[in-house]
Amino acid sequence: MNDEVRILLVDDEPLVLRSMEKTLLRAGFDVETADSAGAGLAAFEAARDAGEPFHLAILDLHMPDLEGQDSPDAGLELLRVLLQADTDLPIIVLTAYDEVGRAKEAIRLGARAYLVKGREAELLELVNEVINP
Amino acid sequence: MSNNVSLAERRAMLLQAGAEVSRKVASILDPDRLLNEVVDIICDEFGFYYAGVFLLDEAGEWAVLRAGRGEAGAAMIAEGHKLKVGGHSMIGTAIAERKARIALDVGEEPVHFKNPHLPDTRSEMALPLMVGEEVLGALTVQSTEEAAFSDEDITSLQAMADQLAIALRNAQLYAQNQRLLAQTERRARLLAAAAQVGRDVTSILDLDELLNRAVDIICDAYGFYYAGVFLLDEAGEWAVLRAGRGEAGAAMIAEGHKLKVGGHSMIGTAIAERKARIALDVGEEPVHFKNPHLPDTRSEMALPLMVGEEVLGALTVQSTEEAAFSDEDITSLQAMADQLAVAINNARLLKELEAAHAELVRTRTFEAIAMVTTEAIHWVGNKASPILVSVERLREDLERLPQADRDLLDSMREDLALIEESARLIFSVQEHLIGPVREEKPRPAMVEDVVRDAAVALGIPESVVRYRIAPLLPLGRADTTQLRRAFGYVLINALEAMAGQETQEIFIEVAPTDDGRFVTVRIADSGPGIPEEAMDKIWTAFYTTKEPKHAGLGLSACLQILKQIDGRVSAANRPEGGAVIEIQVPVFDGDLPKAELPTGKSVLLVDDADPWSRFVERTLTAAGNRVVRSTDVVEDPGRFDLILVDDVLEGGDSLAVLQKLREAGVGDRTIVVSSGLRVERTTTLLQQGVRDVLLKPYTPDGLAALLTNP
Repeated sequence: MNDEVRILLVDDEPLVLRSMEKTLLRAGFDVETADSAGAGLAAFEAARDAGEPFHLAILDLHMPDLEGQDSPDAGLELLRVLLQADTDLPIIVLTAYDEVGRAKEAIRLGARAYLVKGREAELLELVNEVINP
Repeated sequence: MSNNVSLAERRAMLLQAGAEVSRKVASILDPDRLLNEVVDIICDEFGFYYAGVFLLDEAGEWAVLRAGRGEAGAAMIAEGHKLKVGGHSMIGTAIAERKARIALDVGEEPVHFKNPHLPDTRSEMALPLMVGEEVLGALTVQSTEEAAFSDEDITSLQAMADQLAIALRNAQLYAQNQRLLAQTERRARLLAAAAQVGRDVTSILDLDELLNRAVDIICDAYGFYYAGVFLLDEAGEWAVLRAGRGEAGAAMIAEGHKLKVGGHSMIGTAIAERKARIALDVGEEPVHFKNPHLPDTRSEMALPLMVGEEVLGALTVQSTEEAAFSDEDITSLQAMADQLAVAINNARLLKELEAAHAELVRTRTFEAIAMVTTEAIHWVGNKASPILVSVERLREDLERLPQADRDLLDSMREDLALIEESARLIFSVQEHLIGPVREEKPRPAMVEDVVRDAAVALGIPESVVRYRIAPLLPLGRADTTQLRRAFGYVLINALEAMAGQETQEIFIEVAPTDDGRFVTVRIADSGPGIPEEAMDKIWTAFYTTKEPKHAGLGLSACLQILKQIDGRVSAANRPEGGAVIEIQVPVFDGDLPKAELPTGKSVLLVDDADPWSRFVERTLTAAGNRVVRSTDVVEDPGRFDLILVDDVLEGGDSLAVLQKLREAGVGDRTIVVSSGLRVERTTTLLQQGVRDVLLKPYTPDGLAALLTNP
């Protein structure tokens, strides 16, 4: 059942965050949001410590990083840290950066997919694939 | 001499005569003239029948007759008359013993050597010519009277001989000084000329102008008949003539005159040995290369042009005089050549600096634009994305509402469609119009490969497209991802124009322009052509003759992309029907870095037989690798060190190939290449377990970099 599936959504753009959250909630997922890499990591650790770890993380790239500095690579840094903590965690990158270099780096670091905002129509389908392979 | 004159009077007369001789010869500074005149002066003053001057040769072994009175003297000099020092002759013994000798009746004196030229001699005296301890030679005086000299006469006549020796020595010293002076003056003149050349050439910063004027400047400063400048080619194997004085120079340059470094020519050896070479009589010097353009050369010097350790080339200077250069001249002329070398180096460095600066400006500009557009794209993406997602949710929610008020609901549905359409348009603009400047800088590219990939990637069947590709195409300079999109837009346009037609033909022609500055790609279709009134408008964004949903961005985006790379695009209707879009991509005119290709590898190239795969095969094989090309996976791919897969394959999807390779366990040595990389395709490919997904290299150094990519 989808409502047992916990998704962490990290993006510093409030419109995107709220819109994505609503879409995922309507699809029946349990969604928690964070508006920075730091907040995302904190949410991840809290969930893990509470025995309710996330099943999937959807990360933006350009946001405040773990030190609080606005950076286009904040999402990749968070990706690395999360995968270190949980190597099996499926992570989808959802970003406005339509750049092959960043896409390759994300995939190499272990992201399951790299979606460009505006072309993310398949997001839900992808989430379902990842959760139920 | 009459006997009734007293001894004192005689002595006084001799001294006076001697003083007269001394006075007259003291003013003659030219040693040759001195010798010639002194014998006449002595005979005139003393009334002798004959006088002659012998001078020692270099070795001091022989006394050579250097002056002699009258025909007898001339004849003996012509014969090279000489007497052995210490031999039987009076001259010989006078020199050896450093004492005057007298023979009073020549018939009786045992040491006398009867001279057929002087048959009337009855008395003879030989006086050594000495300055201090040094003997220069000896003076002979002869009389037709017997017993013409007495022992007392020796003193007076020796005094005269001593004065003569001093005068002679002075004349020789003077002549030597004159020579030294001339040499010093010459050296000073040469240095002054070198300085003049140096001043003139170092102010010319344009390399071509410098070379052309230098040869004239040098010839004018030194009065040479010809000067030429050779510069080394890139490989350092040949010295190529870059400037030459006059018609001879112009003719040789037009012929592409060049000389091998280390070869037989003076220029070739001067460069190889880094030392000046002189040929003094051009007919004899073995290293000389007889030049039909310069027949009057009798002396030649070749000077290497060096800056520090680096040899740039060499300078040749030629004179119509024999022995025009001495070893001493090398120093001053090399100084001049060194100045020229510095000037040439400066001009070259300036050229490189200007090119590097231009490249830097281009790169900076590119980077600046890239940064701005990247941020713009990013911003638009972030702001517009929630619109579409939210519209989707609203649509779903609409369906959940009670469907009672149909008109209201339909109106809401329409509103949602409008919002969605607007958002899509915004994304479209972001993607197609703002996006031309992306990650890649323009680079050397095989344009014919990019257009072919565009056609195949769009799935246009082979039966629809015909190609005419010119041989020996130069590389273009473009961002290939964007260029492929540009070709894609044009091809899509062509397909849409022909939609619904029975016969659909696309004709792609690739050829260089006549001036070699562009590669032209003509894409023609067999559609209805472009309406005349639309000809100007097709390049405007959002102009479309199709349904309202069509954004009309394709050709406008194509124009943007071409403008970005300083290319051109135009449209026309063909006489035989249909439209043709002509795209001109600038030719890549930079230098390609040296390629450090690996060797001894075996490579599997999965690709169709096309210009790019041929380039790869050729380049890798030439570097000593083994290449197997196939359109699909071959047996036992594990035997290859490296597997290259072209993402665009005519026969099918490269993903199928990659799956087979992964199953064979060789994914980690597989690299996928594409002429255009997009995010979605790249991530899909990368997730096939390949080592990397990269842009197709179109140059040997690009290929080398790809192969050594860890």
